Amino acid sequence: MASSRLNFLGPTPLSRRRALWGMALIAPNTLGLLFFFGIPVLIAFWTSFQQWNALKPPVYIGLENFERLVDDQMFHTALTNTLKLLGLTVPLEIVLAMGVAVLLNQPLAGRSLLRTAYFLPVVTSTVAASIVWTGAFQQRYGILSSLLEPVGLGDYKWLVDPGLVLIPIAAVTVWQRLGFDMVIFLAGLQSIPGVLYEAATIDGANRWQRFRHVTLPMLSPTTFLVMVLAVINSFQIFDQVYVMTLRTVPGGVGGSATTLAYYLYRRAFTDSEFGYASAIALVLFVIILSVTVVQLAGQRMWVYYEAEKG
Amino acid sequence: MRKAKRQLVAVLLVLLMSALALPVNAQDGEPVIQPQPCEEPGQLTMWVWDEAWAEIIGASIDQWAAEYCPGAEVDLQVQPWGQYWDLLQTNAAGGDLPDVFNMSQPFFYFYASNDVLLDLQPYWDQYGVDTTVWGSGMVDPYRWGEAGDLYAAPVNWDTIAIFYNKDMFDAAGLEYPSAGWTWDDFAAAAEALTNADEDIYGAEVYLEFQAGYPNWIAATGTTPVVEAGRARCTLADEGSIEALTFLQNLYQQGYMPSVSIVGSTSPDDAFNLFASGRIAMVAGGSWKLPVAFEEVPFNWDVVQLPAHPETGLSRSILHAVGYVASSRTENPDLAANLILFLASDEGQRYFAEAGGVAPANPSPALQQLWIDSFGDSDVNIQAFVDATVDSQGVTAFDEIWDAINSEIVVQIFDLDVPVEEAVASTCEFIETQLPEQQQ
Repeated sequence: MASSRLNFLGPTPLSRRRALWGMALIAPNTLGLLFFFGIPVLIAFWTSFQQWNALKPPVYIGLENFERLVDDQMFHTALTNTLKLLGLTVPLEIVLAMGVAVLLNQPLAGRSLLRTAYFLPVVTSTVAASIVWTGAFQQRYGILSSLLEPVGLGDYKWLVDPGLVLIPIAAVTVWQRLGFDMVIFLAGLQSIPGVLYEAATIDGANRWQRFRHVTLPMLSPTTFLVMVLAVINSFQIFDQVYVMTLRTVPGGVGGSATTLAYYLYRRAFTDSEFGYASAIALVLFVIILSVTVVQLAGQRMWVYYEAEKG
Repeated sequence: MRKAKRQLVAVLLVLLMSALALPVNAQDGEPVIQPQPCEEPGQLTMWVWDEAWAEIIGASIDQWAAEYCPGAEVDLQVQPWGQYWDLLQTNAAGGDLPDVFNMSQPFFYFYASNDVLLDLQPYWDQYGVDTTVWGSGMVDPYRWGEAGDLYAAPVNWDTIAIFYNKDMFDAAGLEYPSAGWTWDDFAAAAEALTNADEDIYGAEVYLEFQAGYPNWIAATGTTPVVEAGRARCTLADEGSIEALTFLQNLYQQGYMPSVSIVGSTSPDDAFNLFASGRIAMVAGGSWKLPVAFEEVPFNWDVVQLPAHPETGLSRSILHAVGYVASSRTENPDLAANLILFLASDEGQRYFAEAGGVAPANPSPALQQLWIDSFGDSDVNIQAFVDATVDSQGVTAFDEIWDAINSEIVVQIFDLDVPVEEAVASTCEFIETQLPEQQQ
């Protein structure tokens, strides 16, 4: 009789047993995701309608947090900075990663070593990397400043000047993401059939034409994937800001280095405004979601899937 | 019956003997704060954020439990600084605070205004403790309510003084500074000690809240940053502008390095430049003494902060960690009794002897014990003790901390924003953070 209640799992006892096995196997992960991700996300959603400083009981205030966001100058600054960082990092990251991947796809001496070298920043902790980069960008005594001195760029206050501070943050982000993107691009490149290049060569295509008309279109699904991931990542830039501005002005002078993720952290954990911080998180979520949806809708215009033609 | 009487006599004798023995222990007269026996022993939990402190406080608690409250048990826990405030806040939210815990001045406002802390004033009154025995900077930030009740007992104090490189003074043919020197003397020395060609700066004294510019504002007679009671931003007041302008001039003349050159707004980094001979005079906390004795390779000494030429004031920003109790403790009397002991001469002796952390209890014997803990030296450690008396507590709090601890510093001493402009924008922000209705 018990089995009849399990009928939804499958038509036969065997298929039902298999389904149960499968569910048992994914259960630990799913439960973990549910308890440590799903439920907190739902609670955050609810918290965004409350005023809550974690000491006094929360008070339901409806949409007040969201109304406050509209007039919050720092929120606007953070949103602008986040978009600026998106512009500074995503195109550069994709172009550089694709370039490096194409180069390291050639039969070069020491290719594996180079691939490893480019991948190293990915497995380096962002915090550690950011600390080292902070030193490098220090005015006058930083290694970067010393290197740039002969060209007259040595005396810039990279980490405190409101007009410059996003550059070191973008630099660390690109440097760290490059290896990850490169690996995805390498995988994409290696799945392009060699016969296409042969055919193009026979048709008289030169190196550039082969890249432009074979590599780029065949790689477009990979490029799309890299782009979506890079955009999401750029919306979440936090560690670099936290570490690189910690020792001077946290969040930059006048909030010049403050990103959305950093701003919500500050609101929650410095100012104890958990309701307001949750509202920011929710807005950030909606922004990322809509940008991703737009990207998905736009892919038809430029992403080429082999299967469609085949 | 007779047996009981004999026991009573024995107890009285012991009490009499220990009373006679006391003056012998406290050589410099009466103890400043006298512990009292507890009424009823019980169990307490206590949080501190530092391992070394836990050891010192633990020894002190053992004495309390042995002599003043037999049968009492204290569960002393270390919650490291990195998570201390998050844990405290979440536990406060869950109604599960430790009975007694360490508090820091900038955080006090948040907990006091949320009614989480026990008012200790009735106990000070009951125990006959005059709360003005502590230096003003130690206790004023821990007062709350209209009557200015004292909610904490200070554990320790940190004050600021100027560390200077004697070798550099000798090389420049300058006399060593002495107590009572003025801003003018300081500026002249900073100029004479600066050597731009060799990247050597005369001074670095503006960084950060406690070691930095607020000391100079306090010397003008102005309360730095916000008024007591948090009603108003004082950065745009005459005294604040005078102090900041004085310091910005020294920086713009090249006698003090910019924040970018130091590499951070932390006075620790400025101290490192001092220790490597790149800065001749640096404002440093008393907590730097152990490092200075251990690492500074040249001859150095300490002098009190220069006095304002007109007011004659030299006021150090002082920070004192406090012992507070939870307002929801089940044992308020016992918690207050423990705090009394920890603040008493007997309880504070453990800090004085351990060295490093200066005991808040103002007993001259204890302060001397602390000075002696650094061993024989010619260094004028007394300068730090002297600075405790008319000191200025930390007036900044959470939400405005970064704005006044680093942002205004970078604006004035790195980006060369005019003082008037920097204080105006900072005050504008501070005003948005001040509570609308006062306590």
